[in-house]
Order: sequence, then C-alpha cells, then structure tokens
Amino acid sequence: MNTAEAVSRAASAVRVQAVWPGPGESGDPPAVPGFIESTFPALVCAVADRCLTVRHCTPPGPVPHGDRTGVVLVSRYGDRATASAVARAVDDGTRMPSLLFFQSVPNAVAGRVAARWGLAGPIVCVSPVGDARAEGMDIADLLIADGDADEALVVLAEQGWTDGEPDRAEALLVTARAPGSRAGAEHPSKNPDVIAPPVTDRGGEPS
Amino acid sequence: MAITGMSALSACGRGVEPLFEAAVTGAPAFAPVTRFDTGRYRASSGAEHPGSRSLAEELTACVDEACTAAKLTVAQRAATPLLMACHPDPAFVRMPADRQAGRSAAGDAVELAESAGLGGGVRVYTSACVAGSTAVADAAALVAAGRYERLVVAAGYLLDEDHFALFDAGRSLSKEGSLRAFAADRSGLLLGDAVACVVVESAASAAGRGAQIQAELAGWGRAGDAHHVSQPHPEGVGMTRAIVAALRRAGLAPSDIGYVNAHGTGTRASDAAEAVALHRALGPHGHEVPVSSTKTVHGHTLEAAGVLELTLVVRALQARRLPVNAGVPDADPELGLTLVGETPTPRTRHALSLNAAFGGANTALVVSA
Repeated sequence: MNTAEAVSRAASAVRVQAVWPGPGESGDPPAVPGFIESTFPALVCAVADRCLTVRHCTPPGPVPHGDRTGVVLVSRYGDRATASAVARAVDDGTRMPSLLFFQSVPNAVAGRVAARWGLAGPIVCVSPVGDARAEGMDIADLLIADGDADEALVVLAEQGWTDGEPDRAEALLVTARAPGSRAGAEHPSKNPDVIAPPVTDRGGEPS
Repeated sequence: MAITGMSALSACGRGVEPLFEAAVTGAPAFAPVTRFDTGRYRASSGAEHPGSRSLAEELTACVDEACTAAKLTVAQRAATPLLMACHPDPAFVRMPADRQAGRSAAGDAVELAESAGLGGGVRVYTSACVAGSTAVADAAALVAAGRYERLVVAAGYLLDEDHFALFDAGRSLSKEGSLRAFAADRSGLLLGDAVACVVVESAASAAGRGAQIQAELAGWGRAGDAHHVSQPHPEGVGMTRAIVAALRRAGLAPSDIGYVNAHGTGTRASDAAEAVALHRALGPHGHEVPVSSTKTVHGHTLEAAGVLELTLVVRALQARRLPVNAGVPDADPELGLTLVGETPTPRTRHALSLNAAFGGANTALVVSA
C-alpha cells in the first residue's frame, strides 16, 4: 500500500520535519498530564509539539486553518507499555487504573495533539506493514487528495525494545504540493522545507 | 463505489442474515459473559458468539465468504489489497520480550491476506471505534481516485478480558445487561463480538465482470473534534462536518436520507453529541429521520463496528426494513430524535452510517440501495 509509484505520484509535500530524540538528546520526553505507565503518549506529544511549534509558534494553530489539518499516527507496535500494564492488572487481579482506559487506544494521544493544536481534520491511526514513513505519507496524501484535509501531521512513533534503546519518533507536517511542482525520484519526505531545531526548550513550552 | 460482497459474524450468529433478523425484530444478544470470570468487575454482560474459533480463523472465513459472494476469481483476489481494522492481539504483550518483536496487528493482517489469497498490499487501521469505517472510507477514496479497481475491507474484535476490564474501569459499561442507546436512562455500553468484511469496487469494474452490486457506497466523510482525549465535542462539531462531507460527496440533501444507523453507544455524552450533530448537519430533517443504534442488539464491537454496521445498513436497504433501536422506542426528549421503534419501510433508498471514537475521530458513510 506504499509503493514507489504511489510516492512519486504524491500530491503532497513535507513542510516541516521534526524528530525525537534529536542529535545529542537523551532521556524520556516530558510526561504528559493524564497519561501514566508509558512513555508512548509523551513521545508522540513531544515530537508533534516540536514540529507544530515551527509552524504555529504556540498552540492552538490558527483557526480555521486547523479545521482542515488531519492527524495520522503510524506505529507498528503501538503503545506496548500501556498494553503491558493492562495485561498485568488483568492477570494479577489488581485494580485497573481508570486512566489506562482513556489512553488504551492510539486515537487518545492523537486526540490530545489535535485538541492542543486545534487540528480538526480526520484522525487516522495505522500499524504499518512496510516502510512507516511512506505509509504515513500515503495516508496523508489520500486525505488531502480526497478532500477531507488540506494538510496532515504525520507522526511515526515506536518505543524502544530494551532499557537502553530510546523511544524514537518523527513528525512530518504535510501539505498539498504547490501547483506545477512535481514529486521527484526521492521520497518527498526527504526534502522538507523546514527541519525543526533538534532541541526544544521544553521549559518554555507553550500552554 | 459499489459493494459487491459482504459477510459478517456476530453474537446473533454466523452471517449477515441472522444479524439482520435480530436487528429488525429487536432481539438483543446480550447475556452474562462466559469467556472469562467477570466476578471482580462492575458489569457482567456482553454479546458473545458461541463459537470457539480464533479471531484469525474467523477473519479468514469471513474474508473468503465476502470474496466468494463478490464472485472474485483467484486472479482477481491476487490483485486485490486488504484494508484491515483491528487492534494488536492481547496475547502479544504476554509473550516473552524476545518473542514480542515482529508480532503486530500488521503482521496478523499480512497472514490473513495470504491465507485468503489476497494480494496488492495490506494496510492496518488501529483507530479504535472508527477503524473499520475509516478503512471503508479510504477504500472508497482509493477506488474513486482510480488507484485500485477494488479493495477488501475486513474488521474483527472478539470480546476479551483486557478490554472488558478497561471499559469497566472507565465506568463505560452498563450494569443493566442492556445497551439503551438514546434513552433518557441510558447508562453505558456493552461489548460484543464481530467479524465483518465488505468488497468495495468501482461500478465499472463490477459491471465489467458481471458482478452483482449489493449497494452503492455513495459518500463518505471523516473529521475530528479537536476537543478532548476521550470525550466528544458536546456540539458534535467533528461528526457534523463528517456528515456534511459525506452528503456532499453523495450529491444528496439531508431530506434524501431515509435512515440513520447511529454510533449510539448508550453513553450519556456520546449519544448527546451525536444527536446534536444530526440536528446541525441535517437541519429540521434531523428531528424526523428514523434513527437506530444496532449496538442495542449486537453490542459495541470496537474496531469492527463500522464494517459490521455497514453490512446491516446494506441489508436493511435491500430488504426495505429498518433495524429498531431495541428496547428503547422513545428517545430522551432532550435529544429530539425519532427512533425506529418497529420495522417501518425506509422512505428513501439512502442511509447514513455513523461512527465515532476516542480522540474526537468521526466518520460518516452514505449507503444507497
């Protein structure tokens, strides 16, 4: 579903790109109120903030522009830490924290990003079969070409598998390609207009 | 866009027909859950299919049945992509860490496509309660854009203890043993089993190979609330825009809609937001159009909801009999809706199928038959 043909035909292009962690960064992203047990929601929020801050400076984004911005969350394995916490509570017969209910699906953190930044386009979450970035771009391209969005925030996020392996995420703000321009041989996400600064001053996080 | 094949399994039985009969006669499939011990939870009921096959086995059978109904040849199947709606198997996180890597919803879908003889790519939607309906909308968009002649959309959820415990902890489950969508005394949802599949195809492709068109997928829309992690916007802003987009694509006016298969979970905030959205999107017609939530019969089937309910809408339009809002003939007066209390004939050949999810995700499908 994410063939080279689809990518070269893409009607959309990456305007801003951000990653977590950036070069030289270490440690978990800042915790997000209302989410527990897992770094996955914080990972998604951190990289989304990093990307959208370049575009909008402070949340929320300008209305009605945000009404046409979708959120596409791409994660092959999803929030494994939350799923593990749920399984432990069930298997051990302990009380299930109600907050786990509210974060148990990927839509939840995607909705948190959408609410924080005023992004009222479609919310789509997928577990990619092939290349995650190509799949996310393909979905964004479909939403834009089909008319339910003018742009999309694509977030690729995976938790580390071992204690020493960091969580990694990338955010791509994708908009319609300018008339007359064409997708090149390279994947369009390789050529963003702006790359977000690798280190964000989280102490000055907009609220 | 044409729907040329469909299949379903639910607590009402194997196939679309027993589901349809239960829906139009208002025969809920809820009973005390037997798949695990509910003794430590607030709620105890659900809608379980009595079979013992795994979700993967049921999905394979369901996809095969839909492809057979669509009269797809082996070669046609091999050129047809699969869009799948599901969440990761709860067994994955219970495996030793070194065995978890590589086990994902995506991996399961690839195995399903291979076992069903499907080719041309796989995409797996994990968008919770709009996963299935988003996959249907995307399938229609991909066909409309000329990228594929047809796609298979499959979805599945079998009631499990992890999700039961989560919904119970979130105080979203009804303790009454019934799901009373849109009732003044509605008190929550009940979960249910579902496996469902549809074949979405261009009308030209269907005509070219002589396939029977079950129904037309005339319009689709998807939009967000930008409001909250788990609560719907009280003004139904995202659902309103999804409905308007679906009607625009279908080229229909609100008054053309003869039935609404609502998301209708039976939770206070969600039902109220959906009712507001219907009024905002349909205007005065929102007060008159027959509305029902078939979750009152088959339960909330999470990622599978959009596809299972789509099969019911198609069958209802074909049979010209509407599913009832089981057990709730009169809506909460504050909602201003007209519920399907008996089995009237739809006044038009067009229906809306609505779904919503955490994160403020909303979808609307327009079906014509």
